[in-house]
Amino acid sequence: MTELRLEGVSKRYRAGTDETTTAALTDVDLTVRDGEFFTLVGPSGCGKTTTLRTIAGFEEPTDGTVSFDDEPMAGVPPEDRDVGVVFQSYGLFPHLSVAENVGYGLRFRDPPGGVSVDERVAELLELVDLEGMGDRAPDQLSGGQQQRVALARALAPAPDLLLLDEPMSALDARLRESLRRQLTRIQSRLDITTIYVTHDQEEALAISDRLAVMNDGRIEQVASPQTIYREPETRFVAEFVGDNNVFEGTVVARDGDRCSVDVGGKTIAIPAVSNGAERVHFCVRAAALSPAVEQNQLSVSVETSEFRGETVRAYGRWNGVPIVLQLEESPADEITVGFEPSSVHVLEP
Amino acid sequence: MSATGRVAAGRVRAWLERHAIGLTALVTAGILVVMLYLPVGVVFVEAVLEDGTPTLGHFADVLTDPFYFGILADVFAEPLAIGTHLGSLAGWLAAISISLTLEYPLPGVDLPVPWLAVDTPGVRKGLFGFTAYQAALSTVASVVLGLPAAYVLANYEFYGRRTLRSLTILPFVMPGILVAVGFYAMFGRAGTLNGLLGTVGLGPYAFIETSPLAIVILAHAFYNAPLVARLTVAAWESVDARTVETARSLGASERRAFRDVVVPQLAPAVLTGALLTFIFTFMTFPIVLALGGLQLATVEVWIYDRIQRLDYAEAATLAILETILSLGLTYAYLRYESAQTGFARAPSPPPKERLVPDLRTALSPRRLAIFGYGLVALVLFVGPMASLVVGGFTDGSGLTLRNYSFLLERQLEGASFQTLPLPAIRNSLLFGVATLLIAVPMGVVISVLTARTGRSGTIVDTLAMLPLAVSGIVFGIGLLQGLVFGIPLPGGWRFQVTGAVAIVVAHAVAAYPFVTRNVSPLLTNLDPAMTESARALGASRFRALFDVELPLVANGIVAGAAFAFAISIGEFSSTVILASGGESYTMPVAVERYLGRRSGPAIAMGTLLLAVTAASFVVIDRVGGRYEL
Repeated sequence: MTELRLEGVSKRYRAGTDETTTAALTDVDLTVRDGEFFTLVGPSGCGKTTTLRTIAGFEEPTDGTVSFDDEPMAGVPPEDRDVGVVFQSYGLFPHLSVAENVGYGLRFRDPPGGVSVDERVAELLELVDLEGMGDRAPDQLSGGQQQRVALARALAPAPDLLLLDEPMSALDARLRESLRRQLTRIQSRLDITTIYVTHDQEEALAISDRLAVMNDGRIEQVASPQTIYREPETRFVAEFVGDNNVFEGTVVARDGDRCSVDVGGKTIAIPAVSNGAERVHFCVRAAALSPAVEQNQLSVSVETSEFRGETVRAYGRWNGVPIVLQLEESPADEITVGFEPSSVHVLEP
Repeated sequence: MSATGRVAAGRVRAWLERHAIGLTALVTAGILVVMLYLPVGVVFVEAVLEDGTPTLGHFADVLTDPFYFGILADVFAEPLAIGTHLGSLAGWLAAISISLTLEYPLPGVDLPVPWLAVDTPGVRKGLFGFTAYQAALSTVASVVLGLPAAYVLANYEFYGRRTLRSLTILPFVMPGILVAVGFYAMFGRAGTLNGLLGTVGLGPYAFIETSPLAIVILAHAFYNAPLVARLTVAAWESVDARTVETARSLGASERRAFRDVVVPQLAPAVLTGALLTFIFTFMTFPIVLALGGLQLATVEVWIYDRIQRLDYAEAATLAILETILSLGLTYAYLRYESAQTGFARAPSPPPKERLVPDLRTALSPRRLAIFGYGLVALVLFVGPMASLVVGGFTDGSGLTLRNYSFLLERQLEGASFQTLPLPAIRNSLLFGVATLLIAVPMGVVISVLTARTGRSGTIVDTLAMLPLAVSGIVFGIGLLQGLVFGIPLPGGWRFQVTGAVAIVVAHAVAAYPFVTRNVSPLLTNLDPAMTESARALGASRFRALFDVELPLVANGIVAGAAFAFAISIGEFSSTVILASGGESYTMPVAVERYLGRRSGPAIAMGTLLLAVTAASFVVIDRVGGRYEL
């Protein structure tokens, strides 16, 4: 079992013909605990896949160190790192059968627990619910089955780390959810340290023990799903992860555990801001804005609304600020909603 | 073995495995330097040295000699006398006359045919001018003959369409000398055309003797029109039918949509084909040598003649000038090609119409025009090859086996200095296999190096593709002067490669780009996740190459191997130089030597060559080889 640590990892690529470089990763620090299900989430191009490839050894960092259990990995080629990798495109070998695919890593490492290669392959196929499919060719399988073969193949040599690079993004939504449950079940059963890369914030919140939100090659916040969702530290996290409405204003008065903020001419009450800052950013979740609350009332001009079953999601504007609402019924063109000061989360400046 | 010994051996193995690709690359680079760059360098040195001192005198002599550059020689001699040059240009333009004559005699037809005569005063073109002139005419002929074929293949469905489409690559593996002999068999005095005309009481006509240029251009079109057709069909089939439908729905007529949407997507392919045709026909050698001889000499033929007369300095100078021109053209081609987006398979390719849905449609003007073209194509493309096979069994008076029995007699009774058929066949096959064994690993290594290395890959790619731009003749001189005559090494040693080895080297260097061209696209298209998965699972880079990549590009390797074999079997230019005097002559060389006397035995030998070439073609076609350069 393995603990993974990244310290000050940066990766720069030479851009074009001149000497200028573009940074794919800037000063990334991460510690992934033994047996943890850890997710890297962010928009495309944020550096999450580069981080994963650096861990696997396909990229060497320009600066900083990657270490497995305090052992630095610089110069260690991928084949010597004992990692299992599942790619977005699965990378199954089309000229080998399913069983040969799963058994490929056992050509270089003995199967764990003293079992034979065949036994190990059968064991893994059973783990991913593909018993008896060993003789098939990969292209005879559905996308979900191929994905599970790729997972079984990565796990067969009992790697120290499991790295998953958007393994579900090629699948449809329903299948994704069932595979996701299967994946978390397998992960907790094997208790293997797992790094999962996704651009889907809902997926990230659903399956992770902890997650790192990345943006523009940097880590914005590392925390548990609950903390990320309820207490985003930065504006980026607030906007990327939750259904948050982000406001920006100037503190005009402080009164005990409350303070008043001027947002575009309207005074809004929020919890006391600890530091002496004049400008504050704060966010309010969509569900906290309600027509029934009489404090902090905003009159929102609604642009579109979507029916979502139990709720209706409405998008509009107040004072030029984009607003998202979660209501019980479709709103009229204008709707007045309010929110409790206690539902406000103040962001770091 | 002791425990420490075993550990050490294991380390050596691991080190070798880790650096295997780098080591193979080094060996390949070594072969390329010695066998490719060195010979070309030797030619260059020969051209700029006079009695051991560097000089540009050879170039100045050639550039200002009207024999080589015609009227351009004056320009090169006095580049600043612009007034004089413009004056002579104006004088030439003024002397052009256009007239309508009513008497153009057609053989056997007594009616006067109206004919527009454009009378241009003669221009002294010089050797290079003539070479470019015949290349330009050949290019026009190839495009004119290739485009209708592309149109039919891309737009109509008919029995045998796919076969026909894959047959468009056949000329690519067809030895030039074979095409020349085929045209001999068809248009020669005792050829099949005269035979057919004879049955209606006409002829015989001396087609080749009276209009050799026309026959050479037709032979070039035989070679290159299928290339133009092939490139154009590929572009045409990659046009997304939805884009045409979008244009129609936006108000464009069928014709307008064709002009606005389809033509811009075809134009690059046609231009690519034309440019390649020009490059190939500029460097033409066996066809002109066999069909035209010295009175139609192109640069290549003249260089060959200089070598036969042992005038190496002049040959080298001409060779360098020609190489500079062809490198420039190839560079233009590569720049132009890389600016194009590849021919991705269209999501919805254009629909194909049935060619003969019913009798009524079959008699429509458009269909009749297609059938007319089909007839011309049949005569031009099938004629020479059919004539070759038929010609092997006829001698102008009827069916005979005399041509083959001549080969047999020659084999049994020929003197050792004569060209014997059996050694030619044996050498060809032997060299073919040896070429394949060298060219395939070389080509694969270069593919692996260039597949995913970005910018440095492009440089390697360009350096490695040099053989495509250096003609066989130039390369032949280089090998002759460099490796065959030997290069003195310090310490009294001499580096010398002769006879069969030199020929195999020449063939391998000419052939490996085709291996690379067949393997590279497949390798680049492989999902990198496969190699990376293999590595994460514990395979070294080398092991991943063997376990994953090579099995998946096996078809490309087999196609490349078949190409290498076919190139070797058909190679003429450098072989004829390297085999002169020796016993390492091959089938194409034997064909050319027989052609000197009577055409019958040459045609019989050509038929054997055709059979071997066709066999390689079948292999290439079966495994879906790529034929575009």
